[in-house]
Amino acid sequence: MKGIAGWKSAPVLLGAVSFAAILLVWESAVRLGWANPFFISQPSAIAASLSRSARSGELWHNLAVSLREFAIGYGLSVAVGIPAGAVAGRFRTVEYALDPFLWFLYSAPLIAFYPIFVLWFGLGVPTVIVIAFLLSVTQIAASTLSGFQNVNPGLLRAARSFGATERDLLWKVVLPASVPMVIAGLRLGVGRALMGVVVGELFGATAGLGYSIAYYGALLKTTDMIASLLVVVVLGVLCTQGLSALEARFDSWRTGPDS
Amino acid sequence: MSAPPLSLKINTMVRSIFSSNYRVLVSTVTVMAFLTIWEIAPRAGMADATYTSQPSRVIAAGLEIVRTGGFVRDVYASLSEFTIGFALAIGIGVPLGLLLGRFLVLRYLLDPPIMAIYATPHLALLPIIVVWLGIGMQSKIAVAFVGGIIPILVNTMAGVRGVERSWVVAARSFCAGEWDVFVKVILPASLVSVVMGIRLGLSRAVLGVVVAEMYQSQAGIGNEIMRYGSEFRSDYLLFDVLLVSLFGFAATSAVRALEEKLWTAGK
Amino acid sequence: MMEQHHGSLAASHIRVEGLTVSYENPKAGGTFIAVSNANLDIARGTFVTIVGPSGCGKSSLLLAIAGLVPPAGGSVLVNGKPVSGPGRDRAVVFQDFALMPWRTVLDNVRFGLELQRWSGEDLTVRARRFVELVGLKGFEHYHPHQLSGGMRQRVGIARALAVDPEILLLDEPFGSLDAQTRDEMGSELLTIWEQNKKTAVFVTHGIDEAIFLADRIVVMAKNPGRITEIITVDLPRPRTIETMDSKLFIEYRRRIRECLMREARNERAAIVPQN
Repeated sequence: MKGIAGWKSAPVLLGAVSFAAILLVWESAVRLGWANPFFISQPSAIAASLSRSARSGELWHNLAVSLREFAIGYGLSVAVGIPAGAVAGRFRTVEYALDPFLWFLYSAPLIAFYPIFVLWFGLGVPTVIVIAFLLSVTQIAASTLSGFQNVNPGLLRAARSFGATERDLLWKVVLPASVPMVIAGLRLGVGRALMGVVVGELFGATAGLGYSIAYYGALLKTTDMIASLLVVVVLGVLCTQGLSALEARFDSWRTGPDS
Repeated sequence: MSAPPLSLKINTMVRSIFSSNYRVLVSTVTVMAFLTIWEIAPRAGMADATYTSQPSRVIAAGLEIVRTGGFVRDVYASLSEFTIGFALAIGIGVPLGLLLGRFLVLRYLLDPPIMAIYATPHLALLPIIVVWLGIGMQSKIAVAFVGGIIPILVNTMAGVRGVERSWVVAARSFCAGEWDVFVKVILPASLVSVVMGIRLGLSRAVLGVVVAEMYQSQAGIGNEIMRYGSEFRSDYLLFDVLLVSLFGFAATSAVRALEEKLWTAGK
Repeated sequence: MMEQHHGSLAASHIRVEGLTVSYENPKAGGTFIAVSNANLDIARGTFVTIVGPSGCGKSSLLLAIAGLVPPAGGSVLVNGKPVSGPGRDRAVVFQDFALMPWRTVLDNVRFGLELQRWSGEDLTVRARRFVELVGLKGFEHYHPHQLSGGMRQRVGIARALAVDPEILLLDEPFGSLDAQTRDEMGSELLTIWEQNKKTAVFVTHGIDEAIFLADRIVVMAKNPGRITEIITVDLPRPRTIETMDSKLFIEYRRRIRECLMREARNERAAIVPQN
């Protein structure tokens, strides 16, 4: 294994093989009558559904709506979450003050507030954005907070030994040192924001990927459901992998016990 | 001079008394402040209570909810769905995770689909689970299962992989057989990660059950929540939401306490 | 037998008077005394090593001189003035290197210069000079994680030297390195030191290292952390590998070892009740 085209490509290769194998088994199982296509459909049918909705523009429309909601909700959560986490990381008091609210936002089924959000923000897109925002911002703030608080104290001490002021410590040590954790938070936040979008749309939207899943679900059209679901999965994987790659790039910035 | 000055001793004492309590103090103060503003604002005409509700209303609603018989039935339904689903997640997730963590090849083969599922918002699977299993308890159990199993699986795998190689080698040098190595070294050492996975899966499972009930169901807390929501009875809605949060918090805290016990025991 | 140099105040660069350093331990609910009533005079341009078992407070003593740890009692004077915090006259080299992982070698050496707001000369040019001085020419744009332990510590030394301190403080700088690298680094440090003869205080738990590098050796013991002996080293400079085989070197080694073992014995006796 190690010799073939470099060690790094082996997992990718195995992954591709694994996916191909799954698709093969899936398709065969249905064609051979082992599994009921009503429940799980088949890759060929799903592919057909996708190309159909792509040609009719339905796919792009839904994708655009969901992506827009995601971009705004996630973007806002980053813009709010990172500063909030940073301030809380710097000032213990702020952290303790925000703690109970963050906990609530993290552990409460925010979807439950859906009717209230509709009252406050309006039906459809605004509410979905709010849900995505709230689900994601807690994660990003928590990770940023953690990044700020877990800077290797040896680095801080070294900076102090050269006469660093509080401002110096913040800009020259804490901020760069917290980057890996902040990016980790961004990666985790993506999953949560995406979930917020999809679930928000499940409950009350007129367009979007989640909406299309629910729509076809109500019609018991499994094939089209799975097709939309697939798009969501691909989106999730792309975003997460993208941020994982970014995280890996900054991995050398981690301040472990021996830097 | 071998004893530290008295001033230093007093300073230390004061500091340690306050530090752990400071956290509680600040948190309590902010929550109190929030609750106060929340209560007063509608009274002062700054906010409309039909939109925002009030602590007093929520408490009143809560009292009324608890008195009705339907509430107990709903709690029971939700709780059992969660328990069964999550127990299944542990029962299948832990052994599977141990297996996958132990055998490299299996892991590489199954890693991509597992990672794909991990990156997917588990609640997006809701509609299809409903199509498969209907709107009864089975679909909720399934959602709890799906929500809980992924973190459990991933963390168990990581736990097994993280077991110090040196311990395994040491055990083998004492001629321990593979099974012995597994039971006596790998299992105990990875226990902390397993419990952490359980903790992470717990909130996902709780969320799953409630949202599933909100989506399509005939009973359960989520169903209640949806009902109150559609009737715009925000006080009742908030009570139920708080209840769910508190349950999640209590359960997660209990598991975290267990995690910490294992952590210190492991050292 | 204690030897103390009673030089006049004007001659001593660093003067430690009755220094006590303590740490609070919130978990154990008590105060831990790291250094108790330490007295020490260090003349300008001398290389002093501090040696002792783990927990004897040698690092704490160094950090107090550095101004990174406040005295609980007594004082540290540099050039006659009490130390109240870090300063431009002192620079520290740490055991864990403490390099900023996101900075290149060059930028890490610049780090101290930036913090101290140096102006006049271009910081990069100055930093480059010190990178060359420690033998890392060509590695300016490498990141710490790409370097070996020895190379990282060279960066740490370059960083400290770049700010041109009067006093160089080294806290077990070679403790994380393997024995061979340690010996090499020790020789190289002396070579660099010979060029500008700064006042240096070097903490170690290696007896040989302590003797090899020093003009004077401060021996410490623990429980409580205190100075037990100060030895003047009369070995000629420059020191070489052969120096370590000389009779005098071996004699010093014997003395220090005896001192340390005596303290260890006393400590054990104190624990075991005598009846």
